[in-house]
Amino acid sequence: MWFKKSQKWQLEVDVVVIGSGAAGAVAALAAHAGKAKVLVLEKTDKFGGTTAVSGGVVWVPCNKHMAEVGIADAFDDALGYVTRLTDGKSDPALVRRYLEIAPQMIDFIEGATPIAFKALGRYPDYHPEFEGGRPGGRSLDPGLFDTNTLGAWKDKLRRSPVFGMTAMSVSEATDWGVFSKPSALPFGLLAKRFKQGLVCYGGALSGGLLKALLDRGIEPMLSTAAQELIVEEDRVVGVRAKQGEKEILIGAKRGVVLASGGFEWNADMCKRFLGGPLTHPNSPPGNDGDGLKMAMSLGADLGNMSEAWWCPSLMVPGEEYDKRQLHRGDFATRSLPHSVIVNRKGQRFVNEAHNYNDLMKAFFAFDPVAYERTNLPAWIVIDQQYLDRYALLTYVPGMPVPEWLVKADTLEELAGKIGVDANGLGATIARFNRAALEGVDPDFRRGESVYDHFYGDPEHKPNPNLGTIEKGPFYAIQVHTGAIGTKGGARTDGDGRVLRPDGTAITGLYAAGNVMAGVTGAGYPGAGATIGAAMTFGFLAGKHAASRSV
Amino acid sequence: MPEVEYTTKMALPRSLVWDFVKDMNNWAPMLTGYQKHEIIDDKDSIWTLKGDVGILSRMVRLKFHITEWNDRDRVAFTLEGLNEKVDGGGLLVMEEVKSDAPPPPPPKKRWFGRRFLDWLARKMFRRMHGEGPKRLAAPAAADGGTQLTFTLRMDAGGPTGPLVNAMLGPALLPAAEDLANKIAAHLENTHLAAA
Repeated sequence: MWFKKSQKWQLEVDVVVIGSGAAGAVAALAAHAGKAKVLVLEKTDKFGGTTAVSGGVVWVPCNKHMAEVGIADAFDDALGYVTRLTDGKSDPALVRRYLEIAPQMIDFIEGATPIAFKALGRYPDYHPEFEGGRPGGRSLDPGLFDTNTLGAWKDKLRRSPVFGMTAMSVSEATDWGVFSKPSALPFGLLAKRFKQGLVCYGGALSGGLLKALLDRGIEPMLSTAAQELIVEEDRVVGVRAKQGEKEILIGAKRGVVLASGGFEWNADMCKRFLGGPLTHPNSPPGNDGDGLKMAMSLGADLGNMSEAWWCPSLMVPGEEYDKRQLHRGDFATRSLPHSVIVNRKGQRFVNEAHNYNDLMKAFFAFDPVAYERTNLPAWIVIDQQYLDRYALLTYVPGMPVPEWLVKADTLEELAGKIGVDANGLGATIARFNRAALEGVDPDFRRGESVYDHFYGDPEHKPNPNLGTIEKGPFYAIQVHTGAIGTKGGARTDGDGRVLRPDGTAITGLYAAGNVMAGVTGAGYPGAGATIGAAMTFGFLAGKHAASRSV
Repeated sequence: MPEVEYTTKMALPRSLVWDFVKDMNNWAPMLTGYQKHEIIDDKDSIWTLKGDVGILSRMVRLKFHITEWNDRDRVAFTLEGLNEKVDGGGLLVMEEVKSDAPPPPPPKKRWFGRRFLDWLARKMFRRMHGEGPKRLAAPAAADGGTQLTFTLRMDAGGPTGPLVNAMLGPALLPAAEDLANKIAAHLENTHLAAA
């Protein structure tokens, strides 16, 4: 509410951070380092937000660990590369700011938390062949984290429904062939680590950040939902929050940092703003745009609202997380041999092995004459060769064929079962099989990029991403349009201050992470670009807020 | 192989407990995560449960096969996963408790809301299963009542077996406790409340 009279606070701190993902946690640590008294509010009953369910990788060009894996980087290369991917949808000054500050942010995190990052030498940028791209090194792995060090907070750390039970670092997952040799994973060791309380990926990153907060006496307030920003004399001075039915007024003498995530679970906002349908988000269901609405209510300017960190989604019906149907992001099924994606005409329409963000844009293709999306619905089609070798969602070779796969003895029968044109599918598979045998995909260039190969089967010849679909039974599973988060939100300046449409800052209000207008615009430069940008602007916002005079 | 055992006591005679337990339709809905079950014949049935596997929950279909039916005090069964590579089994044993172990005290007079909820639960039970057990005054318990012991074991197979077993382990005991306690609470509510 604007120009509200002075409040009597139940709590008063210097900086209130709304949200406990990486953006929020880093903002809190940075503000604390700036001598501010900090409070973190988290509306769910678990700490970690979207970060905790993610891969936990942080994309930072020119990071100091790249030298350890023998990869050189250059600032101008990274700047040119990211700028191209933004597609003109973000402020060039913010792109520069991200790339300048991110390495400093990593130094700060490694000094303030138990996290020791490792550069992933073989995890390529998402367009590694573009000018300024790199075949690896910019993505940083947080390794493993021992949740026992959190004491009573151990069970309050959010766990990923996908990675939360298999404690392997990203480097180990790569070395062990998590995609191409799933049956050979050391499940005995993973069971031992599970019992020991070790976590990986986003759980490790969030765990390390939580440990650092607790070490500083910052105990996040869980199950506490910020409802409204309180404004006095044109500046944000506090937050009205709710714990169950109890209302709390919290004063924030130096500022409020919005780090509340995207709006991907808000169907209405998705329909109104996004450039394509987002029906099956991959993040925790708490991401419903509440923080963004608070910023909008104060007249914040918006940016990048049509964009998301798109990701194809697959479902095991009945599999639930946080009491909602789980939508699993698909990173490998479509990249491994013996698989294709087809539309209702039975036609391929994209390099299936392309990065998940840009791949999805092909799903939104629109036929103006038919007035429909040409490539929705879409299906992944595989054959028995695939199931004999590779994993698919909860399936690992050696297990019963899942009931949630549509199964048929022939491609024609499969087409009938999934409502796809049988002649089209037959012709597509025949052409794909020829390409697979030659190891070259003339239609969509699948298997050309080192990125494609990362998610392929290195032992499959002649191409790690191309294998025939010829051995029945044949199977299909529908691909839905998902996202690991939206990335449209409040426009900010280089210190994370939320801007009005006239370019002036709303005093005392900051944004970082997916509630902020995404600095990478339409693009996804590499694994962890989500978290890298979120942590960098969280770092800047926390620092700036702490430095404000009271 | 994760295996757990849980025992609970009821101030009711074994015959009455057996009358309830011998018909699996009576207690199937009391299983943790119960969705539905389908009786195939006297020995076989298929159960659909929503089970917690670590952080998420998943539908599991299990073939339930009775291997031992010792009339009046013992049911043994095996379980075979139909959509997951998991198998196991269990045992329900009813024993009379001798008087040196004091029986649990009869329940206190319940407040109105609790009695209303009990009535509602019985009404819903009858809607689901027909008449179901009648609300009778409890026959005198032999000595100290009946001890119900539920043993449950599950073993995940396949390459992921060790990991799934690590996750299943912590979930089994609460499931065994839940079933045994629900059976006990239901029988005591039905019989002792009317006594």
